[in-house]
Amino acid sequence: MDDVKETVLSILKDLTGEDFSTKLDENLYDSALLDSMGTVQLLLDLQDKLGVEAPISEFNRSEWDTPAKIIAKVEATK
Amino acid sequence: MKTDLIDVIDSYAKTKPDDVVYHYNDQINTYLDLKHYSDALAKHLDEMRLPNNRPILVFGDKSFAMIATFLAVIKSGHSYIPVDVDSPDERLILINKIAQPVAVIAVDDLPVNLGEVPVISAPTLSDIFQQPVDYQVTHAVSDDQTFYIIFTSGTTGVPKGVEISYNNLLSFVTWIVGTDFNLPENLQMLQQPAYSFDLSVMSLYPTLFKGGTLHVLSKKMTDNFLVLFTALPTLSINVWVSTPSFINICLLEPSFNSTNYPQLKHFLFCGEELTTRTARMLKQKFPQAHIFNTYGPTESTVAITQVEITNEMINEFDRLPIGYIMPGMHARIIDDDGNPILDGSQGELQIFGTSVSHNGYINNPEKTKKVFSIIHGQNAYRTGDIAKIRQDGLIQYFGRRDFQVKMNGYRIELEDVAILVGKQKYVKQTAVVPKYNAQHQVSVLIAYIVPNENHFNSELELTAAIKRDLKESMMSYMIPQKIIYRKSLPLSKNGKIDIKSMINEANSQ
Repeated sequence: MDDVKETVLSILKDLTGEDFSTKLDENLYDSALLDSMGTVQLLLDLQDKLGVEAPISEFNRSEWDTPAKIIAKVEATK
Repeated sequence: MKTDLIDVIDSYAKTKPDDVVYHYNDQINTYLDLKHYSDALAKHLDEMRLPNNRPILVFGDKSFAMIATFLAVIKSGHSYIPVDVDSPDERLILINKIAQPVAVIAVDDLPVNLGEVPVISAPTLSDIFQQPVDYQVTHAVSDDQTFYIIFTSGTTGVPKGVEISYNNLLSFVTWIVGTDFNLPENLQMLQQPAYSFDLSVMSLYPTLFKGGTLHVLSKKMTDNFLVLFTALPTLSINVWVSTPSFINICLLEPSFNSTNYPQLKHFLFCGEELTTRTARMLKQKFPQAHIFNTYGPTESTVAITQVEITNEMINEFDRLPIGYIMPGMHARIIDDDGNPILDGSQGELQIFGTSVSHNGYINNPEKTKKVFSIIHGQNAYRTGDIAKIRQDGLIQYFGRRDFQVKMNGYRIELEDVAILVGKQKYVKQTAVVPKYNAQHQVSVLIAYIVPNENHFNSELELTAAIKRDLKESMMSYMIPQKIIYRKSLPLSKNGKIDIKSMINEANSQ
């Protein structure tokens, strides 16, 4: 379980340059830190590194907008 | 016999008038429509008695009227400047000021008044297209005359318009439909980007030249992925042309694979670096497909190198090669003083030959002189790209020597962004730097800002206000995602903002 958390946090850090380990509930879209292309990169990383298939046509931003929600989503698909 | 691009395109109105040339949303247009529309508008332009072979600004989206307008402008002996509907008003005004077009054609309504220049409005244009005319093409753009002018971002907040000639375009089109790519005879090509972006030329003219069909992605489709992936499998596309960023979106859709797209056998990528990861994931979904990486600056007509990406290459290279140079073009590596480097080590890539713009940047002799020259009697361009040429001619790319970056296929000059950010009322001083991800792609732009005094309660509010202002003056893809506030910015020895040290800071983990 901790592996997932660490991988997600390292993906977010690689993408944004930000360490979210103490800010798990920060909204990634409010500050426009993630835009639509950033979202694509994020999902691509999740698919490539964690095998998470998240069909982009069913993607609902509000379910993926904080690091904590992303971690929960990934764990749910395991 | 000399092949004439316009004659060939027009000939399909006789040989296959009812074949579909353009598929846009639910709208379908034929080769006969294309000839009727473009003849009618060409006649109208002739009657306006505009000065010879001068540019005409064409403002619009991706509808059929756009390409019919381009052809009409060419038939009447003028060059066109495509400007996308999503451009901010200031960019439209600047392009108009720099290029001094002799007319403006508003395929979509102009958001601002452009002054003295004659404008053909959208309703007038629809009326013109419907006039039946008998038109003979006698003075179309040819040889070294300018065919189109595409504006890229500049380093001083002022965009640069690259002039591409008829001959430049013809050599590009001949190459794309030739044996290097071996594309199917009946071209059904994807048209993804806006016409203001020269990647659009990679689908547009090869398809028209071969009498094929353009399958156009509308904003309606790209704004809603459900609509996109419902429509895509129905389009019978056999050649895919897009930026790697766009295929990344498709890779996230489980249904995007060779089972659901059996006719799709060729993928051509350009506009930004194709990463090994994207190539690997695409190969898994389309194991039999031919995937081509191509490379080229707008200054040398879309693309000038190609290589088919194999599984071996994906395993061998950390960064995929950009390929071998096309016939008629030459590549060499030079040092900072412009002297050729012959020992195979890396340096700046300089290219010369049939695809390089002759006139350079329109009405900008200063910037033109900096990068364009003549080598062995041929037009040459210093790309600013760091590269290496292997013994067998394979070219590898390693990044930029200046502060230009590619983001999602868009070419961005960091200095340009910094100047525009620096003009905002809450900004005292700024530097804009890229943050790279593990695939060597720019994932976010970071603006380090020393703010002016302001009434905002938090940095978040200030950021929102600055971003709102930026939308007025720059393309949305240029707006930095992340803003970091500082009391001061580091200076280099000569007293300028030390951008290099800030790039290092932004990318140190």
